[in-house]
Amino acid sequence: MPDTVIALDTVSFGYDGRETLSGISVEIEAGSFHFLTGPSGAGKTTLMKMLYLEHLPLRGSLRLFGEDPTDLPSAGIARIRRRIGVIFQDFRLLDHLDVIQNIALPLHAAAKPAEEHARDIDDLVRWVGLEHRVNALPPQLSAGEKQRAAIARAIINAPDLILADEPTGNIDPEMGARIMRLLIELNRLGKTVILATHDLTLIRTTKTSVEARILRIADGHLAQGASVL
Amino acid sequence: MSTVPPPARFRAPVMPRAGAANRLVLVIAGMMAFLAVLTLTASLAADRLGSAWAQDLTGAATVELTGTPAEIAERLPFVLDILETTQGIAAARPLNAEEQAALLAPWLGADADLETLPVPQLVDVTLTGPGPDRAALQQRLDLSVSGAVYDDHAAWRAPLARAVSTLMAISVGATVLIAACAILMVAFAAQATLAANQDIVRTVRLIGAEDAFIAAAFVNRLALHAGLGGLAGAVAATGCLSLLPDLADPVALPGAEVGAGALDPIARAAAFATAVPLVLALVAWITARLTVMATLRRMP
Repeated sequence: MPDTVIALDTVSFGYDGRETLSGISVEIEAGSFHFLTGPSGAGKTTLMKMLYLEHLPLRGSLRLFGEDPTDLPSAGIARIRRRIGVIFQDFRLLDHLDVIQNIALPLHAAAKPAEEHARDIDDLVRWVGLEHRVNALPPQLSAGEKQRAAIARAIINAPDLILADEPTGNIDPEMGARIMRLLIELNRLGKTVILATHDLTLIRTTKTSVEARILRIADGHLAQGASVL
Repeated sequence: MSTVPPPARFRAPVMPRAGAANRLVLVIAGMMAFLAVLTLTASLAADRLGSAWAQDLTGAATVELTGTPAEIAERLPFVLDILETTQGIAAARPLNAEEQAALLAPWLGADADLETLPVPQLVDVTLTGPGPDRAALQQRLDLSVSGAVYDDHAAWRAPLARAVSTLMAISVGATVLIAACAILMVAFAAQATLAANQDIVRTVRLIGAEDAFIAAAFVNRLALHAGLGGLAGAVAATGCLSLLPDLADPVALPGAEVGAGALDPIARAAAFATAVPLVLALVAWITARLTVMATLRRMP
């Protein structure tokens, strides 16, 4: 039986006294591919932030890799985050670092000598097709290039879980298809992938290539299963 | 063929180049170091001078014998006899004319004709242990000769000791204030730098960096700027002190030969110029790390 990577039990969260997520319960198994969908403002990004521990639940229970992050010190939370590769909606590349330095950053953060991972970085840069842009700074990149750099940075540390928040939202359809192929390939390599998107066409297209489960969020509540489409 | 640059290129500073807060630390640390070196040098010089003077005055006393030259010549043997037979006195020696002239030279000039002036005869008295009973000795002198006054320098030592201890207290207070200013400045700069780079901090945290990793990116740079600023300020202070007159020169500073060798401000300043930047860098490192770690703990 596959391990449970994420377990949420009646989780709620809110800002300024307003509840944006309510009674969320779901279990995500290792190696699975999930779409998290719903209209804009439904709470997809809030839920994703909770999964990469930028937010902690106000109520209910959240377990990641079997651990309750609310019980952990900051070093423990950092350890869990190193098992998660996040592709942010706004990329969050560091503008003063070039492509190669941005990609290598998680290795430094994990106290791994990047020099020993030169071959991995080289392979990854080629895999995302940025081998001719390694010296460019993020402001010099197109949206698609930024997204691919963000994907490379998210997976350089060989994470078990990949969270992608609207990874195709800011790029053209051709580049979007390429990025989806990258994510599907990662899932085939055994990574658990959760992809937040409001683009139902993208989900329908992708479902022909990968066995994916769909989580639909609306008004802060979660529904599961293909019928939600 | 590999398209990736050499591995050394992978390791880049997590934080952008030095911002306004780092430059502020550089400038203010320079000012702090300048003041600290001057303060410490002055306090040490005062302490050494006070100790030297006190030591010089403690083991010796003086008898001042007034009168006409004939009266002095007549009374001097009686005075010497009393002194040499008093317990607590090791030796008594009248100063000759050249020695008396040398003592008065800073005030009267080297060519003054002392024969025409009513200059008293001084007798240099070397003491043993705590010296004689001051009142009893003076009484013996008064009974035997007139115009002989025994001076064990107590009247000089007490105000000198008070002045030196007051000066030391002021210097310690000033040094504490300088250190407090340095700590506040670094704490402020660390918080300002964190606030200015909030987005970077959040991103680096979310990719799995521990607080200590993030803190190091700020702290090392702040400490480096504090150290460099401190070095510049300390060198500038040493340069200023080198413009002072030679404090061990009795012509430049009358009476300075009493504590000759104790002042040497340039040597003292040079020693502080080495220590102060290192201390500033260390204080900056500790302050910045505590500040940054505390701020990170409060962040979500």
